[in-house]
Amino acid sequence: MTAARSVEQRGEHHQLLKAAMPFQVVSSETIQKIADAARLVSFNPGTMIYRRGERADDVFVIVRGRVEHTLGPGGSETNLVRLLQPGEVFGWAALLKTQRIRLADSLALEETQCLAIDGRALLRILGSDESGDVVMSRFATMIKRDFHAPDWMADLRPIPHEVRARQLSGLSLTMFRISAWLRSPRPYLMFVGFALFIGFWHLASEVWKLPRFSELPGPVAVIQEWTSKNPVYGISIYTSDYYLDIGVSIRRVAIGFSLATALGIPLGLFLGWSRTFRDYVFPVFELLRPIPILAWVPLAIVMFSGLETPVIFLTFLASFYATALNTMLGVESIDETYFRAAYCLGAGRWKVFRHVVVPGALPFIFTGLQISMGVAWFSLVAAEMVSGRYGLGYLIMNSYTTVRYPTIIIGMITLGVVGYATSALVRIVGDYLMQWRVRELSLGGTS
Amino acid sequence: MSLAWGKVTGESRNGAVEKGAIRIDDVVKVYDPDGAAVLAVDHCTLEIQPGEICMIVGPSGCGKTTLLNAIAGFHSLTSGAIYLDDEMLCGPGKPTANPGPDRVVVFQNGALFPWKTILDNVSFGPVMQGRLDRKAANEKARQMMSDAGLSGTEDNYPGELSSGVRRRVEIVRALMNDPKVLLLDEPYRALDSLTKSVMHEALLEIYYKNRVTIFFITHDLEEAIFLGHRVVIMTTRPCKPKKILDVDIPHPRDYSVLTAPRFRELMEETIEAVHEEARKAFEAGEREG
Repeated sequence: MTAARSVEQRGEHHQLLKAAMPFQVVSSETIQKIADAARLVSFNPGTMIYRRGERADDVFVIVRGRVEHTLGPGGSETNLVRLLQPGEVFGWAALLKTQRIRLADSLALEETQCLAIDGRALLRILGSDESGDVVMSRFATMIKRDFHAPDWMADLRPIPHEVRARQLSGLSLTMFRISAWLRSPRPYLMFVGFALFIGFWHLASEVWKLPRFSELPGPVAVIQEWTSKNPVYGISIYTSDYYLDIGVSIRRVAIGFSLATALGIPLGLFLGWSRTFRDYVFPVFELLRPIPILAWVPLAIVMFSGLETPVIFLTFLASFYATALNTMLGVESIDETYFRAAYCLGAGRWKVFRHVVVPGALPFIFTGLQISMGVAWFSLVAAEMVSGRYGLGYLIMNSYTTVRYPTIIIGMITLGVVGYATSALVRIVGDYLMQWRVRELSLGGTS
Repeated sequence: MSLAWGKVTGESRNGAVEKGAIRIDDVVKVYDPDGAAVLAVDHCTLEIQPGEICMIVGPSGCGKTTLLNAIAGFHSLTSGAIYLDDEMLCGPGKPTANPGPDRVVVFQNGALFPWKTILDNVSFGPVMQGRLDRKAANEKARQMMSDAGLSGTEDNYPGELSSGVRRRVEIVRALMNDPKVLLLDEPYRALDSLTKSVMHEALLEIYYKNRVTIFFITHDLEEAIFLGHRVVIMTTRPCKPKKILDVDIPHPRDYSVLTAPRFRELMEETIEAVHEEARKAFEAGEREG
């Protein structure tokens, strides 16, 4: 019985607060928090709720009854004595930063009930609400209107910004993300996904030996070969050839990707920034871009001597297109108003390039670099299969011609892992360089 | 049509402000994107006094932003001229003004650089112009931000702040350059009405400390009368002054003005003119712009 009544009462308080002057803008959850923090206090007719000069701890909202509110000296003449009705809020002084002292007398004229909310608690609650700033400004305006108060008096205590406080960067941000990830269901779902995939592979190739899968090495065979100190086909984690292949591939991608980045980003920036430059260059660029990388293989071998440079050239070429194109799109994506604002504030053309074009295009540039890293591995393997010595693509192709099937799978999985790791590396560098974006996204903001 | 500076009351019109007079002289702007000429501004003449808050009211897409862009230097003029303190910004032989820190724009959707911290945004102008080194600019920025009640946000990025706070920062960023004129293009359009009311008082507070000429575009009549010394009601496209209202409510103003009888009278006096233009714009089927 009492419980039901208190629920009903809480709902009533919630409604009352929602209608009260400065609280209309805050969210329902915040209202509920305020309602939870409030205490119901009663006053007999003729009781002074507070007197001038007393310490101000609580803000009051009238539930029922009437209150006479008399301002002390310094109060606005027109509002000197006011009659307050249910739903009205008084006792602002509890929110002041300095001088938390009552500036008025308030007298209960009838049997009066009020919600008393601790000023500090209220500020804390508002601090965690999005519209808290607005409520605080309303409070400040109301105080200033009640008293011809100097600004310092209406200077409200600063909201403790809990929302804003979490400014993670670099390593701590990565650690935070990892711990959040472990607390979510995602890693466990991922584990189940892998288990299902490998389980099916195992059953299809090693247990049921389904028609198309009978030639496919199963996971057990692959893992045995991979971890064997004496591998049947010559490649496992204990052989130096395995690491030689990985190292050679990584080196080729690193050189090709670095060249593509060093040339592609400046080209893309100028393409996006200068209309004239684009009119010269972009048509040629657009004509060459759709040519598949594999079509370049013969020409690359003819153009470049040796075995190494043609492979690096092909790796570079694919990355270069992706980086340059995304960088150009990045510059185009920058809102015209940022350029206008920069010119307005007195920046010259090169300063605009440095302070608007480059940072504004950065999100697209890093998207481009991730794509570029992907296509670098793609074209590397294609190139290694056609020409070259060593490297993971060469390993796969060579294992095919020498009928070493488990080694093919080892090469493929290794490519997947190394490719993923390099993409992740690009993402981490991007996050590090674009703190503003990381913070924006972590707050769920969009603009 | 020539409109002389009318009687303006209010103690804010003191002699302290000497710079920032804008003279818009018989300006015409024709857009001709696909060969179909559109007259956006039609022989518009307007004089704005130094230190005046001049509110330009008109329906969306009426061409008032074209006028602002011409003053700022983002658009060219077809004919006519615009002067700032007798210096021709644009006119015969010079269709486009050079954008510069004497006329800073505060944009409709906000233009704080999201990749710079609030402090770097605010100190951007003086550093770019080479007027102050970074250290001195940061010092001035901190001072001005603390004056505007924005301390504590310096190291945040714009995306982390509410849109109301961002607008206030943007106005401070503009004032860092000691501009003669602030050009505001519906800066509070996207804000809810409660936040808006807070922003209006904050703007006036800043204005009372730094008297600059304010050219303020809006389609909100209440906002216009609350803030302005004068309210210029524009006709819908082509744009030219239809009615000019002297707001004889003394500055400094606060929100109690909104309930003052004189405010209501002025609203009634002008709402008919505004409504008529809004209807014309609606019937002409102009897109928002």
